[in-house]
Parts: sequence; C-alpha cells; structure tokens
Amino acid sequence: MNDRFSEAAEKGRKLLESAGCEFAEIRFSSGVGTTISLSGDNVDSMTSGESLAGSVRVLKKGSWGFATFNDITSIERFFNSALTAASIASPEEKSRVAASKPLIAQFRTEPVEDVNGISLDEKFELIKNYNKILQSSPKIQTTKAIYRDVNSRYLYMNSEGSNLAYDKMHCGISLTSVAKDGNIIQPFHESVSGYGGYEIVRGRENLAEKVVKIAVDMLSAEPLEGGTYDVVLDPRLSGVFIHEAFGHLSEADFIHENPRMKEQMTLGREFGPEGFNVIDDGSISGLAGYIPFDDEGIYPQKTYLIKDGILTGRLHSRETAEKMGEAVTGNGRAIGVMRQPIVRMTNTYIDNGTHTRDEIFNSLDDGLYAVDVIGGQTNLEMFTFTAGYGYKIKNGKPGKMFRDVILSGNVFNTLKSISMIADDREMFGGLGGCGKGGQSPLPVSYGGPHLLVKNVLIGGRK
Amino acid sequence: MDKILESIPGKYRWFDAVHVAGRSTPLSFRNNRLHSLSESENSGFGIRINRDGHTGFSYTNDPQRKSGAVERAYSMAPYGDPENFSLPADTILDFEPYDPAIDSFSVKDEIDAAEKFISDMKSIFPEISIDMGISASSGVMRLLNSEGIDLSYRDSYYSVSASCVLVMDNGVRIDTWEGKSDLRPVEYSEFKEILTEKIKRAQIQEKIATGLYPVILPPQAFSRLAGIIASGLNGISVWKGVSPFAGKIGEKLFSDKFTLADDPLIEGSPYRIPFDAEGVNVSRKELVSGGVIQKFITDLKYAERLGTEPSGNASRGYSSLPSPSFTGVTVDPGSSSFKEMIAGIERGIVAEQFIGLGQSNTLTGDFSASLDLAFLIENGEIKGRVKDCMMSGNIIDLLKGEVYFSSERERRGSVVMPYAMFHGVSITA
Repeated sequence: MNDRFSEAAEKGRKLLESAGCEFAEIRFSSGVGTTISLSGDNVDSMTSGESLAGSVRVLKKGSWGFATFNDITSIERFFNSALTAASIASPEEKSRVAASKPLIAQFRTEPVEDVNGISLDEKFELIKNYNKILQSSPKIQTTKAIYRDVNSRYLYMNSEGSNLAYDKMHCGISLTSVAKDGNIIQPFHESVSGYGGYEIVRGRENLAEKVVKIAVDMLSAEPLEGGTYDVVLDPRLSGVFIHEAFGHLSEADFIHENPRMKEQMTLGREFGPEGFNVIDDGSISGLAGYIPFDDEGIYPQKTYLIKDGILTGRLHSRETAEKMGEAVTGNGRAIGVMRQPIVRMTNTYIDNGTHTRDEIFNSLDDGLYAVDVIGGQTNLEMFTFTAGYGYKIKNGKPGKMFRDVILSGNVFNTLKSISMIADDREMFGGLGGCGKGGQSPLPVSYGGPHLLVKNVLIGGRK
Repeated sequence: MDKILESIPGKYRWFDAVHVAGRSTPLSFRNNRLHSLSESENSGFGIRINRDGHTGFSYTNDPQRKSGAVERAYSMAPYGDPENFSLPADTILDFEPYDPAIDSFSVKDEIDAAEKFISDMKSIFPEISIDMGISASSGVMRLLNSEGIDLSYRDSYYSVSASCVLVMDNGVRIDTWEGKSDLRPVEYSEFKEILTEKIKRAQIQEKIATGLYPVILPPQAFSRLAGIIASGLNGISVWKGVSPFAGKIGEKLFSDKFTLADDPLIEGSPYRIPFDAEGVNVSRKELVSGGVIQKFITDLKYAERLGTEPSGNASRGYSSLPSPSFTGVTVDPGSSSFKEMIAGIERGIVAEQFIGLGQSNTLTGDFSASLDLAFLIENGEIKGRVKDCMMSGNIIDLLKGEVYFSSERERRGSVVMPYAMFHGVSITA
C-alpha cells in the first residue's frame, strides 16, 4: 500500500513540474477506520474499512478542471482528464489564484494513546459501557452510542513546488439517549471528538450521564411559547450563534463576485457593540477545526473577523483572495480529497468580554437562558438555530425548564443586539460538522462566552 | 465470486457483497460563469459475512485489496447481533434504471444551454447572481450472494439545478432555486418562468402578524414535512420504539385524504431500482391508505425483528451495511387544483422554502422553521413576500386535521407530491 502511495506521489510530482497551466495541485489520501455503533441492546454495526482517494485540480486559461478517482496508480490518466476538462471551455471571465511560496513540511497528530494500540475488544467495551449509562433510566426508550477512529495519511502537492504531508489520527464518540413517556419522545445528544488518540474518548462517563439526565428531564419540560425574548446564550450556543449568524457571511466566496454583498460587507462597517471580537483560527491544534495546512496548500492563521464591533476581516480561498486583492487566510477547505476546496470556517469563536456570568444573569428580571444546541442554518440574511433546551430567567435566577427553543434573526441586526459579553469562553466540536455547498460534515469547532442578546424572535405555538 | 469464496478464511453461513463503479461529469457555474468541469471515476467493494448467525462487515475502495476486506468482515462477525434471516435466491432483474441517452450528454451543449439560461435571467434581473450544477453519471451496481445470486445493472443519472441570489438595495436577500433529475439529459426551459415569477414576487414586501393562518406547501416544501412522516414509517424507528406509529398498524391516524406510498418504480425517476440492495424484489406499497397506517418499510434484518415479510427497502453503499430506506415516496393527489386552493383563501401563506426545518424534535412530528421564502395570499390571490417570521406546528396533527391536496403533482427527485393545504398553522412574526 505505502509503496503504491509513494509511487503515485512520485509520478504526481513529475506531472506537476511540467503541468503547463497556471496552477495545478494533486491530493491523495488513504485511511483506515473503525466504527462501532450501538443502539439500545443491539449492535447496529461494527465496521472496519479502508478508503483511498485521489484528485487533481488544474487552472488552465482561467478555467478549473477537476478529476477524482480511487485508482491512484492511474494518476497520469486523471491528470490529463483534469487538463482536458479545463480546456473544453475558455470563459471570458477567468478564475485566478493568489500565489504562495512553496511549502514543504510534514505534520502528524501526536496522540497520547495511539488508537492502533487499543484492541477492538477494548473499544467495544468502552462504547458498550457508555451505552449502558445512556440506558440507565427506565424512561429511556432507545440509545445510540457511536465510537469512531480514523487513521489517515494525506498528501498535498502543487505546481508551486509545495509538498505537504499530514498523518492524522482522529477519534470521537457520539452519545444519544431517547426518553419516552406516553406520546412524548425526547432525544438528547452529545458528541466529542478531536485530533489525537484514545485519550479523547476515555473517561467520558460524565458526558453519558449528562445525556441521559437531560433527555429524561426534557420529558417534563413544556414547549416554549413563541415570541420575542431577551436571551442569555450559553457558551455552546454562543458559538453556534456566531457560526450561523455571522461566520458564513464572512466567507468571501459569497461576496467576491457579488457587488451588493461586497458593499454590505465593506471592511470598517459596524457589526456589533464595542468589546465584541470574533476570530477564526485554524491553527489551534487539538480543536476539531484544526488544520496544519488548508486544502489549497496555505497555512492557517488567526483572522480577526470583527474587532471591537467593526468588520475587520474575512475568510479566503486562493481564488477569492486574488479576486478581492486581499491576503489568503488558509480557509480553502474540502470535506475530502474527492471534493473541491471552498471557503470554510475552522475554529470560530467570540472572544471573552468583561462581564461575569453572574452579572449577566443578575441584569435580567425576565428572560430566557438558552442552553446547548441541536443545529443551525443561515441563508446569509436570516438565520435560525435550535437550542437543546432552555430555562426562563426570573429576577436573575434560572427557573422552569422549556424545550423547543428555536431562535431566529437577521444577520445584520442581531449582532448589534448583543448587550453583555461574559469572560468564560469554551470551545466545542463533535463528530458532526458544518455543511455548505453539498459538502458535509466538515469538522469545525465553535465557541464563545455567555452572551446576553436582546429581543430575539423565538418560534412556537401560542 | 470464486475469489471471494477463496478469501473467506473459514466456515460461514452466508455472505453477500456489492461492487459499485461509476463515472460522472459534473459542471459547475458560479456567480454567472462557468467555474469548473470535473471528471470522476470511482469504485468500491463491501462484503458482509454471517458466521454462526452473527454478521460482520467490511469494505474497501482499493481495487487491489478486496481479499483484505473479506478477511476483516469475517473477523468482525462475532461482534454482530444474532441474525437468522436468509438471503434471497429468487431475485428478478427485469429492468435497468438506465437510459442509453445518458451518453448523449454533451459538455459543450450543456455549457451553451446554461449560458443562455443565465443571460436570459440577467436580462430580466441585471443584478442577479446564479450558480448552476449540471451532472451526468452512469454506473454499475453488482450484487452477489452465497445463494447463487450474481446480478448487475447499469444506472444513469442526470441532474441540473439553478440557484439564484438577488440582493436588493435595502439589503434584503432573495435566494431561490429549481432543480430536476432524470435518467437522461433533459431540458429545463421551465426554470426561467418559475424562477422569474418567484423573484418578481419576492421583491414586494408584505406584512403578516402573529396568528393562525391557512398555509399551502408546494410539492418541494411539502416533501420536507412528508419526510418526517416517512421516517416514522421506517422499520428501524418502529423497532426502536421511537416512531409515533409503532404498534398502530390498522389505526386511522390521519385525514382520510392522506395516502402515502413507497414506490421504488416511479416512472422517469433516476432513483428507481429493479430490486433492493439485498436482492429482495420490490413493488409499490401503500404505507398509509386513507389515513390508516398499513405497513412499515424493512430490510431483511428489520423484517426478522418485526416479524414481517421484508418490504424490499434495503439500501446500501459499498461502505455501509444495508438499512431500510425509501427510494421513492408518493402522496396521492386530491381533487382541487392549486389555483382553486388559492382562490378559496382570504388571508394565508404559500411557504416555499424554510431555514432550520428538521432541527426540531422531528420524532414526534414537531417542526419550527424560519420562512426563507414565503408569499402572502390575500383575497384569493398570491401577493408579495412575507419574511422574518417562523412557522411552527406538528405535521402529524396537521395531517389529522383539515387538509387538502391538489389534483396536480410534481416529481421532485425521488418523491411525487401534490400541493398540500393546511388550516390554522401557527406563524410567529
């Protein structure tokens, strides 16, 4: 296997040297993974499989050609397919890319406990144990407990002479309990994952206990009435909020060829209150959105998207950076070798403010504490995201629990409604990820401190 | 076949394997111009082996390492649940979901057609930004098992989608799309008229207050909510006891106007299949007839667990075990046309697109979503756009109550749906 991989890489390098086009890149990956999926008393699946992938992307006369394949030994043929595809049309308006100096480096995940040293039996016992905890209330109808690890080798090389390799180890669990009482069914879910080894998933009994407790508690929670609320977001929701309500808007491929969007996203525009800072940083190792280099061979960096409430930056691929005359940021990402890189977030967060969590709660006579997350979506003007659950706040204290807390707002206005920012930021990211342009899930992380947002629209029946 | 047999390291009860291979040629237009042209060629192999009643599974897409996958599947088997079903031996292949006209796909012609579409739209909306995806693919699916089945069929698939974004002076964003799929390349000249009308209408802003309104969901939007019902009819959620329909066969849970069928044979659908991914023969089945729950969809495993006949709904890629899923869903039409539905409404909403649908507790049928694109109906006429509001409800309750389906239906991907009209849906503004 490794021989064929090195052989293909060698051939690839030669092809790139004489590519005869503006830009060309070759990506290869090979991976071996184990997935164990348990549900209730059943083993849904237990799989160990391997996958191989290759792609060639070329920019010739302003047009992109892309070829994907799993037979990496035929790299020459696919390199030519990509060149041919790019030559079919010669568009008037041409794509260009920002150049980079050649990068030559090797990266590897340094696990505390290599997953390859752990027997299948042990992995099976671990997830079985978590699954048992997930079932630990008589009100639990069913569960889903998933363990996954992947070892992969990724090679990136391009016509600028870059040669990058990344030996990656990724490991995580996803835990769900579904509680049932009569006609009421309440699922709750938590997931943790990261680049590293078995240490990521060991000792997570607390997480499983939390999942089962909340699923059961939610059975007696009432649905929240629709209306407008002052809402305190917990750090996880604060992260999803910034991802959905603003992060996507800062992806330059939504902006670079749309004059109206460019106007709306003029750097210097006021987006939020003073002291409000939003950052994307793919270089934080350990977090789910970590990348040693992006899928266009650019190193990641810490990019301030909003500084002190003012729009100061955006996320770029090589193409959008060139088009807008701005610097690359290392955000050209693909969910796998078989997909083309597009502008994506990495680890995105709201930085700490100056208030404490208690100060925020004490400032509210009547409000809502929204906790945890089910999901979120945006159309770049409006967004919605669903909290796991929430509590009404009365006189600064969280009270009764509610379910079905679905928040919605306008991306340009809502950030201005942030009125207090706490100093307790946390980061999150599980086995899932972000979806865009049909590419899902892309590993990202998100986070922030507790936030108070005024006048948030919440859906629900009256 | 012989090679697989040779690689199985010891005794087994049965095995089945799939081998899929395909090629596709996707074109992508972004921001009104051709952005990239791709060629894709992929294959993969997956095998499950039952030893002493326990099943193991593995896969690879490395053409030279199939025997490794066979060995892994064999070694994983002891971890699997007990499974005592047997594999089919009587699989019938009577058609291929394949149209040779897929070979007439011409990249040049498609580029010309797409450029024409874009320039037509630009002539109406000079500020519009259009992304398009056009793709043709064809492949072969091969299924073989230890009962002697070794069948292959070709499949073909063409799809086109156009997504239009128009940002207005006041910052309001109109983002709408059309798409279709077929077994062979098809024209899409109707997109222009449909999208133009929606965009023109969306430029006029209307207001709506919080309250209960009649809501019409066009086929595409209704299919999203019907999908919540369909997932409750899946044998997996029934077996796990999280389906609201578990144990309710024969009960009338919906309006007698509501009939939903699983149809793997929808004419013209590129998702149609001659047999399922385990080799079970397929047919059209009503799962809900006249509001009464009739049956659930299963694969071999869930049919055994639920004590029913397998419904022929196993689906699998090479890298996953089979599991029950839909290859086609239809909802029966009603008697009045969409126009007649509109004409009867004093004040209501046509909801075309949502944001965040499906992020609620859909197990119970609940939904709550922001209206991405929706229009006001006033005195029997469709008016401008209503936005910045949310629609909430429970699809099971809505289908139980006063509901009407249109006489016309549309195929959207693998589903055939009418327009659905509900009375008294909650809107929060």
